[in-house]
Amino acid sequence: MRIGLLDVWTTVNQWIYDLWMSVMQWDWLNDHLRSLLNTLYYTPMGEFLRTSTWAWPVFESLHFMGMSLLAGTIVMFDLRLLGFARAVPVPAMHRLIPFGIFGFLLNMSTGICFICATPDQYLFNAAFRWKVIFITIAGLNVMFFYTRVFRRLESFAAEHHAPPIGARLVGGVSLAAWVGVMSAGRLLTFFRP
Amino acid sequence: MDPFFLWIEGLPLSVWLREATTFWAFPTVLILHTVGLAFLVGANVAIDIRALGGMPGVPLISLRRYYRWMWAGFWVNAFSGVLLLIAYPTKALTNPLFYVKLAFIAVGLVVAQIIRGYLMRGDVGANIAAPPRLRLLAAASLLIWVVSITTGRLLAYTCSRLTVDTTCG
Repeated sequence: MRIGLLDVWTTVNQWIYDLWMSVMQWDWLNDHLRSLLNTLYYTPMGEFLRTSTWAWPVFESLHFMGMSLLAGTIVMFDLRLLGFARAVPVPAMHRLIPFGIFGFLLNMSTGICFICATPDQYLFNAAFRWKVIFITIAGLNVMFFYTRVFRRLESFAAEHHAPPIGARLVGGVSLAAWVGVMSAGRLLTFFRP
Repeated sequence: MDPFFLWIEGLPLSVWLREATTFWAFPTVLILHTVGLAFLVGANVAIDIRALGGMPGVPLISLRRYYRWMWAGFWVNAFSGVLLLIAYPTKALTNPLFYVKLAFIAVGLVVAQIIRGYLMRGDVGANIAAPPRLRLLAAASLLIWVVSITTGRLLAYTCSRLTVDTTCG
């Protein structure tokens, strides 16, 4: 029997699902998470998003703007790390990152508001699990970048130099992780429990 | 217009996009439309931030390369957008907001090309500070994409007819 890509996908997804469910059924975490979600559910923000007609669409639009900020800063920086647009000096382009952090914080806050409004829709959602995993990969990648690659940034800052393998790796992983975050985010509605 | 909508909604591609339960139908088209948006607007955001003084060490002209990613994002979204339109023609074409969105995207692309003209000019490209008119264009560009995104997102909440025979919500 041939093993296709779909089998690999199904197996990995099942494995992540099992892992997530074992975490979800972990009593200590469950008790804390449940009390937290109960608190969040009854926050004025959760209530506001559930009852207001326009709050949800407006927050969604803000979430897409945060995404565009992330894409305009982190993704464009990733492309530079991969060796694209080599005329752009890397240390100067690094000034984009605070704007990316702003986009990320905007999306964390609007995202938390969505979870406050309907926590069960996200916690038992396969797409949400993937999204959390991709965000974690992106976060670990950022840590790797600042501990191992950032200090040597000047060495390939000169115009038209090929970026070292470490920079390419960080750029590639980050780009893939953020495209994964966007895709999983868009899939949330299809996996609502 | 109803006979025209009915004809599109009866096409095998339209039926497949709407009704197929596979991951490769509607979900994939929506993912393409989102990632395309990220590259189209993202490239514009980077260029606009530079024009507004956000990353002064970067020569304006060096950012011209990012236009490739902008146009790649645009074509991915034109393609996926046409597929979404084929899936639900009545939903989009009977909503006035849809035409507002298309108009803003058209203006956004024109502004991006005018900005490109400035970047390619030798005297502006090498300078640290962008001329006032370029700053104004960059600010307008950011505003135009904010409106495009918002109207696009609101399409899901403002439609009155989903298909010829069904209403929204």
